[in-house]
Amino acid sequence: MAYLQLQKIAISGPTLASMIQRLSSSPGDVDGFIFGHVTQITTLSDDTSSSDNSASQLTATITSFLCSGSPLSFYDALGRVNSPKVPSFNQQNHLLGWFSGRRQSAIRPSMREFAVTNSLSKIPQFKFSIKNSSETLSPCVFILFTTPLTDQLIHTHQYRAYQFNTSNKSFHAKSLDVVNIGPAFRGHYDNFAPNCALPLMNCSAMDEESMYANKEKVTDQKQLDLCAEGFQIERLRRLMGPEATNYTEALEDLYEKMLAKAESLTRLVESSSAKVFELENNNRKLRYKVSRSAGSE
Amino acid sequence: MSSEGFPSFISAQLHYLVNHSPQTIKVEQVWSGCKYSGSLDRFTLLIPYCLDTIKWDVIYNADFPLAAPDVIFGPEDEEFHPFHDNSADVTATKNSLSDWNNKDPTRLLALIQELRDRYMTYQRKRVGEVDDDRLKFEYSTMLSREGIEMHMNSGVEKPEEVKFAVPLLDMNINKMVVGCPWRHQQRIYLQVIYPVNRKCQTTSLVGWHVHGEYLPHLEESLERQVLEAVSSIDVRRRFIEALAPLLGRPVETDSVFYRKALFFVASGNFSFLVLIFLSTQFPKQQPALMLQSSLYFNPQSMPIKSPLLTEYPWSPRWESSQMAERIFEFLVDESLNFKKYCSEGHLQQ
Repeated sequence: MAYLQLQKIAISGPTLASMIQRLSSSPGDVDGFIFGHVTQITTLSDDTSSSDNSASQLTATITSFLCSGSPLSFYDALGRVNSPKVPSFNQQNHLLGWFSGRRQSAIRPSMREFAVTNSLSKIPQFKFSIKNSSETLSPCVFILFTTPLTDQLIHTHQYRAYQFNTSNKSFHAKSLDVVNIGPAFRGHYDNFAPNCALPLMNCSAMDEESMYANKEKVTDQKQLDLCAEGFQIERLRRLMGPEATNYTEALEDLYEKMLAKAESLTRLVESSSAKVFELENNNRKLRYKVSRSAGSE
Repeated sequence: MSSEGFPSFISAQLHYLVNHSPQTIKVEQVWSGCKYSGSLDRFTLLIPYCLDTIKWDVIYNADFPLAAPDVIFGPEDEEFHPFHDNSADVTATKNSLSDWNNKDPTRLLALIQELRDRYMTYQRKRVGEVDDDRLKFEYSTMLSREGIEMHMNSGVEKPEEVKFAVPLLDMNINKMVVGCPWRHQQRIYLQVIYPVNRKCQTTSLVGWHVHGEYLPHLEESLERQVLEAVSSIDVRRRFIEALAPLLGRPVETDSVFYRKALFFVASGNFSFLVLIFLSTQFPKQQPALMLQSSLYFNPQSMPIKSPLLTEYPWSPRWESSQMAERIFEFLVDESLNFKKYCSEGHLQQ
């Protein structure tokens, strides 16, 4: 298969920032997967005399990522990928490649990073199709994050994006295009594809309701009732007109109940995060214990 | 090298590496990859290769002590993939990373040795692929020499060149020098550097300085020099031993090469130190002497020293006992001058 070269790798500012944040908040080195899609954009060239007047460019767009929180999460010491550990993906989000974040080290792919990228690109089930094209591509994007070896006061992180050439087995540095909102980036939204399909609103006449829709309506109503805390929709009608003042109390009561529910949820989240934090701390302590005992034996 | 600040499993492996490597490997810089504990877990190794050093970064994870380390090679060695090559997937075969055990202190050394061996093969392959007729010829004549190391320099700023480090003389110098201080096997290498000239000129082979033919002559003369140097150590040692009955046991001696000896002597109530410096040309060149008082000090509170004495009766043909006697006689006379010199210097204060 011929080597399909990516012209650029695009990533949205918040996604990149969030990846950097994951590295800087993790206790040690991290790695993870990069998802997105590759699009072939055909641009017409000015030279109309030649028969082939179109130039096609491949752009990889990173839409999401998954951070493992620990190094060597889906591969072994030799960099061989354990494919069952690679998460599943859908039609819109293909596995584009992976990333590695390591503190205080040189910004060059390491021996293992090369092996992992090579191994990942060779797994046939991860091949995906390119939008607007009949060609397929293997996961070949690798993004490396490091922190500088010296002087971290001003310059805290650095990153580099690579495409792995599967035919000659080498990394090619690519520019990482950070896409932000603004007129300068309008072009990037031409190939926008939503991650979640927007729900189809049923605006047509009520009489077309089928049995299935009816059933759906019932479940929706149940969910709504859960939030409404027994406050029926009919009562809202009384909020209009002269008798409204009598009902403010009832409405305030509803809000209070909703707030109490939100508060109890917050407490639940808080206590569960505390538990997670405690577990993480415990894990860290255990790891140190292992490392100490390993040296002394 | 200090192994402080490393988790114990890393320091044990690092310690073993530094102390047991056949080459002198140094740790240049150390860093930490941990956000909270600050444990050191990554470092740069300076590894001797082809009479130069290569820098490799070893990356451990202090938070994950069971994980095997990773290595980052130099910026020039982007194409060096020790456990992969294009023909076959070497990952299938066993190597020093395949069943990593962090409790075994010998593992890091084994890994670095294996990588260095593979690096040697990689560089040899690169040199062999250079399209330069002269280089190809030299490569073919020297390839058979055991332990030869090659390096292809392809830096962007530097001119392309190929370096060879050819080990000469298969002799154990460590065994020849009694009391040798070296932990590592001492070897003599010839360094040859070729600028790469891809557009080959039509020079005939006769004009070339063929290293394959030059090397045996070079080795012959080197061997002579090494043997001479080793035997001259013995001559110097015997001379210092001959001084002992006259001047007393030396206070200090360079007990490997016998280039220096220090005696404490007294003449009447005047005591002083005698420093004897022996050049590699001894006995052709007579020893240089220096006297240092143990009683008189200059205004800077430094002991008063005599200038270097090199003019006194000497013949390289004398027996070492006679040499010692003549030096003793000279010192007896000279001690009077030195005493006078000292007391004058002392009075000037």
